Amino acid sequence: MTEDKMIVCRCEEVTYKELLETADKYDCSARELKLRTRAGMGYCGGRTCRNMVDKMASTMESNKRTQTTLKYQPPIRPIRFGDLGGHEK
Amino acid sequence: MNRRILDHPILGKAKEDNYVSFTFNHQSYKGLKNEPLAAALLANGVRTLRYHEESGSCRGIYCNIGHCFECRVTVNGKQAERACLTPLQDGMVIESNEKLPTPVKDWSAEHE
Amino acid sequence: MNDVIIIGSGPAGLSAAITCANKGLNVLIIDEYLKPGGRLLGQLYEEPDGTWWNGINESAKLYEEALNKDVQFLMNTPVHNIEKAKDGWVIYTEDNTFNTNHLLLATGAAESPIPVPGWTLPGVMSVGAAQVMTNVHRVKPGEKGVIIGVNVLSAAIAMELKLADVDLACLTLPWNNQLTEEAAQPRKVMESLLHVSHMAPSPLVRTGSKFMKNDFMKKLGITFYPKKGVKMWDIPIQLRKAVIEIYGNNQVEGVTLATIDTNGEVIKGSEEHIACDFVCIAGGLYPLTELAAVAGCPFYLIEELGGYVPLHNTRMETALKGLYVAGNITGIEGAKVAAAQGVTAGLSIAKDSGVNGLESEIKKSIQSIERMRENAYIQFHSDVAKGKRILQDQWKEYKASTETVFL
Repeated sequence: MTEDKMIVCRCEEVTYKELLETADKYDCSARELKLRTRAGMGYCGGRTCRNMVDKMASTMESNKRTQTTLKYQPPIRPIRFGDLGGHEK
Repeated sequence: MNRRILDHPILGKAKEDNYVSFTFNHQSYKGLKNEPLAAALLANGVRTLRYHEESGSCRGIYCNIGHCFECRVTVNGKQAERACLTPLQDGMVIESNEKLPTPVKDWSAEHE
Repeated sequence: MNDVIIIGSGPAGLSAAITCANKGLNVLIIDEYLKPGGRLLGQLYEEPDGTWWNGINESAKLYEEALNKDVQFLMNTPVHNIEKAKDGWVIYTEDNTFNTNHLLLATGAAESPIPVPGWTLPGVMSVGAAQVMTNVHRVKPGEKGVIIGVNVLSAAIAMELKLADVDLACLTLPWNNQLTEEAAQPRKVMESLLHVSHMAPSPLVRTGSKFMKNDFMKKLGITFYPKKGVKMWDIPIQLRKAVIEIYGNNQVEGVTLATIDTNGEVIKGSEEHIACDFVCIAGGLYPLTELAAVAGCPFYLIEELGGYVPLHNTRMETALKGLYVAGNITGIEGAKVAAAQGVTAGLSIAKDSGVNGLESEIKKSIQSIERMRENAYIQFHSDVAKGKRILQDQWKEYKASTETVFL
């Protein structure tokens, strides 16, 4: 394996190279980088790679210190459809 | 090969000895009742717990405390249980998922 | 309905629960792990006075005390959302919904990864994973391992693995890239290690190690970049080498190590293979703040505290009514500081619940947090106190700005 194939987002298997190229091509924010590549959008909810995706974004948001760049949204743990629908146990 | 730390210079001798039986991918193993499935499987030398849905690459525990979901397995038919958080019970049936078919072509390059 | 709900049963959550229960409140703790204690469970180190800090015993003591005070526990239960209701908070778990007027978030920290080619192979785990497997579940993470990332956490856990007779080939640096930053630069790593030199003395003398007092730091300090690395507790620490790949067919079989220059750049042709069956990734810790974020807390990024932290005052109150924080969610520190913060949060909650005459106790508890911080054995960041000052400045600024709006 070469460093090009190094995975950053384990859940979606998004590579370092893919993120570098996307950040370079679109000169994008962390959020745009996430949406374009799916890095941080997998099963774990970005808990593992969010800081890395943040670091790789080429444009820093102006309010970066006072606001997390990648938004947190519920559910912060996956929920099964059955539980969401309130099935009988 | 025994991966269990039965004696420890500071923590002392292991106190638990209530071994129960379970299966993982149809093979029988023994582990300690109420220890996490991940510990029971590792003690038996099992590292691969699942296969990545799309690429099929082997995956095992990563964070071991429920954050990364890498160790998710099917337990008694219930999908996506974290092996690092689920206490082992007698007769548990644990299974890995398989790589999923991906019949849809990735069109993203053509859409640029 | 519970007077207080606490999410997280680590040292902060347990101490807060005991404090609240002592003041007559009815407490429920929710945690997704299978036993109480949080990250305290895995800790094992020798105190300067020669006694051992045993996280399992410490956790059990706190848990028993909480049980004796009728604190209710709901383990194995992930919380996936919290919401502000008309009065109080709603907590959502898979099976139930809970309501409370006072909610304490004591969710601790998560580990930051260091990406390395091949790090998804089974056998690669966070360094905390190896710690929990070894000390809590008493299963060896493998026969022989390599730790990537040299910092205070990985040094402490390397010693714990050694105690459990787990063989470590070395502690070494990650491959230098845009993501590894300072963790891949020998000079920076060296600097960050200098403030933990007190950890080097004699932890293993009684168990027969050849380790000599202060040897590690002396060698490190005198010969700035020894080519063969230095040894700590008999484990080689390689500050001039980096793992450029983890290889193996379906699971870890070894790592490729290369010599690096003082800036972390790989020297071509220096690659060597080291056989091992597990690899630990030690990228440090960051506050796990997801629930504070979905609740709508204002945040501030403070590197000294390990990342973004929800704004809160010294009484552990957030900007949102009825929502409190304690422990590593407020910044990365040791278990004793977390427990002290839990006490303060518990007292604040009791006061806000209508218990009178707590003011002086609260003030004392805040001083106690600071004392714990000053005396901490392990400091994750040399400037934690500065980080806490920045946080209080930000809190005041935030309060001033919101008051202006309402005037």
